[in-house]
Amino acid sequence: MLRGGSEALTPAFVSFLGMGFMDLHFIFIQLFNGLILGSIYVLLSLGLTVIFGTLGVVNFAHGALYMLGAYTAYSIVTLLNLHFLIALLLCPVIVGIIGILLEKFLISKLYKLPHFYNLLLTFGIMFFIQDAIKIIYGPEGEPFNIPEFLGGAVNLGFMVYPKYRLCIILVTGFLASGVWLFIVKTKLGAIIRAGTDDSEIADALGIDIARIFTLVFGMGAALAGLAGVLAAPIQDVQPLMGMNFLVETFVVVIVGGMGSIGGSILAGLIIGELVTLGIIFWPPMSTTLIYVFMAVVLIIRPRGLMGRVAFFE
Amino acid sequence: MKVNSKYSFGFIILAGLFLLFLPFVTPYKALASQMLVFAIFALGYDIAFGYTGLLSFGHAAFFGLGAYGTGLTLIHLSIPAPLAISMGVIISLLIAFPIGYLSIRRRGIYFAMVTLAFAQMIYFIAFKWRSLTGGDDGLHGVPRPPLGFIDLRSEVVLYYFILFFFLLSIVLGIRIIRSPFGKTLECLRENEDRARSIGYNPTRYKLISFVISASFAGLAGGLYTLLQNFVPLFSLGLDISGDVVLMTLIGGMGTLYGPIMGAMGLVYLKDLLSSYTNIWPLFLGLLFVVSILTFRKGVFKELKERFLKF
Repeated sequence: MLRGGSEALTPAFVSFLGMGFMDLHFIFIQLFNGLILGSIYVLLSLGLTVIFGTLGVVNFAHGALYMLGAYTAYSIVTLLNLHFLIALLLCPVIVGIIGILLEKFLISKLYKLPHFYNLLLTFGIMFFIQDAIKIIYGPEGEPFNIPEFLGGAVNLGFMVYPKYRLCIILVTGFLASGVWLFIVKTKLGAIIRAGTDDSEIADALGIDIARIFTLVFGMGAALAGLAGVLAAPIQDVQPLMGMNFLVETFVVVIVGGMGSIGGSILAGLIIGELVTLGIIFWPPMSTTLIYVFMAVVLIIRPRGLMGRVAFFE
Repeated sequence: MKVNSKYSFGFIILAGLFLLFLPFVTPYKALASQMLVFAIFALGYDIAFGYTGLLSFGHAAFFGLGAYGTGLTLIHLSIPAPLAISMGVIISLLIAFPIGYLSIRRRGIYFAMVTLAFAQMIYFIAFKWRSLTGGDDGLHGVPRPPLGFIDLRSEVVLYYFILFFFLLSIVLGIRIIRSPFGKTLECLRENEDRARSIGYNPTRYKLISFVISASFAGLAGGLYTLLQNFVPLFSLGLDISGDVVLMTLIGGMGTLYGPIMGAMGLVYLKDLLSSYTNIWPLFLGLLFVVSILTFRKGVFKELKERFLKF
């Protein structure tokens, strides 16, 4: 049955409430779990936000690309018996290439039309990819174990935490700063920012904006694929895993402000924590909390925490 | 509904005959009823999407709320079906107000994402609230109480019961879009800033349009419950929201008759394909992609423009 992406990731600590006291240790663990969930949100929403900011496309297929990343990892590690690190390197490339093909042959055809056509197009692509995977791999989930060299736990002094989960936090931190540095400091990043501000002028100044768009979409897809690989070991690999995460990622970008990298990171972490801390206080409604939070942000600051006013509206 | 006056009389007669005998043409009678239910849904959706330009990705929420509202009323209170259905409509309408109010704060694609998020929220509440909704098993055992001397348990009778609501919806829909209010909605879709500068309050008009469209969705949901004797959890799901967008798009948005035909065609096609294969979503995705790349004005309009130049 359909479950929230966030729910699938966070272990249910429902029995905790029966314990009758607030365990500080447990709260620490939940804070870290929130960071993990937040990391996946950040990786997904970074791609989504950069694609949106540059192309003006809300990529509904983003969740499907995330799922493709996880299935590619499953194929490489479980079916081909190769090392997890190979999957970690190959999956983003494969999903990135799929993204580039999608942009080149389908999405780029609709840039001149109102933005919602591309939204609907990617929605169709999402259904297609999802069902294709269901036909190829079967509708049930596939188990995916944590790679051996990252198994076990680390003693952090105040608590013991799984090694693999710590790695996710580190990799995300590294990637998020990488994307930020790339956009802000490099020449290519400057071109992308120019495309975001005014793609027509950038085009007129001799920049091949079509190629930049393709590249950006490929990069966003690669990030989604990477998120899929990273999440695979802590979540069952199943066809609907992306769709479940997609809506929550939308909430992240709405709260953070579409097109803003900083906003995505901030909102991703906030919402990750919100879900996992919600589990402490009222488990059944922890997923609902993020939508309430979104409603509050929409009332107080409709453009999102770090969004621009009337951006692609 | 711009039908050339020379053809319109014949068209209405033909459509009337078609609707009258539809349940005897379809493989089974409930399919004809289902086609009408989704036609009502798409017709209402067109008021928001086609006429006002509000691309809602969360209309399943109102369809499902209408379905659950009607189902729960029928189970817990012994009142006639039309009253139970109006309960469903009222619940959809009441929830559509706050959701519409919040979503309309963002325009365009943001609106689509916000409505989607709120629909998902309602989905999860229904999923978790097992004691009320039955969770993912759905709400079972919804009765079809007789309406005076009319026995709704017969599928044919139920079809004509639904047909009545369908015709009512068409009349209401036409009245709404041809009214000054409907023209204002079209004006908003074309140029919101201009509408504002003439003195219209876009937020208010958009909200009313959204709520009206949600009420149609609630009506469709209520009739769906009566038809199925059961409310599935997926009636609140993203697939239903996507279905109605596609029905409207394929039929031709902003035409009212287009979405009706689109809905009936898609429901029929889905049933036809489901009896052969289980790859409906794959086909649906493909249909989405193809229709957006080639039939943006709707199948009927595009075909007419290409082959019949009159």
